Amino acid sequence: MQRREFFKTTAILAGSAALTNVDAAEQVEITQPIDNRPVADIAFPQKQPLITHSDRPPLLETPRKVFAHPITPNDLFFVRWHMPLIPTYINPHAFEITIDGLVNNPLRLSIDDLKKRFEAVEITAVMQCGGNSRSAFHPTAGGIQWGVGAMGCAKWKGARLKDILAAAGLKPGAAWLTLDGAEKPVYNQTDDFKRALEIDRITDDMIVAYEMNGEALPYLNGFPVRLILPGIYADSWMKMLRRITVTAKEPHLHFMEHAYRIPDNDCECELPDKLYPKTKPIEKMNVKSLIGFPENGARIRKDTEMIVRGVAFDGGDGIARVDISTDGGATWQEATLDDGKAGRYAFRAFRYAFTPTQMGEIRIMARATNTKGETQPFAHEVKWNRGGYKFNGIDEVRVEVIT
Amino acid sequence: MKRKIVTTAALLVIASQSTFAEHKGIKLPHMEFPMAKGEGMYATKGMCNMCHSWGYTINQGKQSKAFWRKKVRKMIDVFHAPIKDEDVEVAVTYLFAHYGNGKEE
Repeated sequence: MQRREFFKTTAILAGSAALTNVDAAEQVEITQPIDNRPVADIAFPQKQPLITHSDRPPLLETPRKVFAHPITPNDLFFVRWHMPLIPTYINPHAFEITIDGLVNNPLRLSIDDLKKRFEAVEITAVMQCGGNSRSAFHPTAGGIQWGVGAMGCAKWKGARLKDILAAAGLKPGAAWLTLDGAEKPVYNQTDDFKRALEIDRITDDMIVAYEMNGEALPYLNGFPVRLILPGIYADSWMKMLRRITVTAKEPHLHFMEHAYRIPDNDCECELPDKLYPKTKPIEKMNVKSLIGFPENGARIRKDTEMIVRGVAFDGGDGIARVDISTDGGATWQEATLDDGKAGRYAFRAFRYAFTPTQMGEIRIMARATNTKGETQPFAHEVKWNRGGYKFNGIDEVRVEVIT
Repeated sequence: MKRKIVTTAALLVIASQSTFAEHKGIKLPHMEFPMAKGEGMYATKGMCNMCHSWGYTINQGKQSKAFWRKKVRKMIDVFHAPIKDEDVEVAVTYLFAHYGNGKEE
């Protein structure tokens, strides 16, 4: 209680001093994120070797080349846990999700119930950590220094969250969900990793998924069920989802109030010595693209056709076009997009055939634009925030053209 | 008829085996993340590793002394790590010496 009051006072004091000069960004520099980190020599369960930031909890990043394709295979899909104790054995026949709180019929649903009692829905959706590419931010933003690969796109299958709530029967006044997974802190007193979701914001696309790319979810991606919230950053896509509690009031949760938040101003930005006092959840993803091939440092023969491949996505408005530059951003040409049949929440694959005619280093860039006309800034134009969230700078790879 | 029964029995065996395989669970590997050698290394390792990998610590990037102090305090105040107050500066000094950005604030 005293703590909370202390934070409030600090925030108000900071507020009067902040925001006078958000444009004076000399001290801040945004670059391309760290790239080409090697994968570990150890594979985690059900995974190929990935870029490994931590083993406890497991923090695994997908290498860039995987994004030459619009579906990320399960064994290459990134992994991020918050708590060090993750169940390593779950009996799918005994596992249950509890739906309780402000409902008429509290439910305990087995995986089998989810499959049999509810319509199965399939949706292809990008899951991206809000801190993906955080290593682009200087001064260094606190948090895992992800490169480009804290994201992936899979075809998820499960039951609609709405249908599950309807079966439980929401009581009048029900407005919030508290989502809890099976991961645990080391000490009992430590706040559990829980997230909140406002019931008004639930759409038909949000599902409790028991399948990922046609298979059971890997343990490290949330076996046996996780929440899928298309278009929204991954922080509330609860893994090993085991309890949904309905309340009238917004729950107070450490990980909602202190994590995954950005400045609540138009630029969503601040300066390291003038932090903006008011913050908001990161929520909807911005427009972004990534080159899967070529990778940084690739060597390509002069007068030989190469095909630049990658993926583009946004928060669900849909990608309208991707432009490619092969001269460091001076000129741009439109890439060819896939048919878009995977839907507006999926990776949209792009390809651009290109034959270099001059030797030396070239800088290849990709820039996506969505159906609302929103596009990506150059990396150096991205604004800083203390959490290093929502980087969507134009991606760049440098390749060498040789004889 | 007899063949059918045998086939069914065989299928049942296969099915139960595959179900059994799904129930085995996983075993998470341990990975060693090297630490910079220096005063306070073992003490810091002990404090951090009670809950998480050293990789989790160094992935915060090079940071100021104030940042590291705030992080260590957060581990105690928010996550209830049993780190003694008098040990905080040992960890902060080590972290800043080897994973610092040279700035106090």
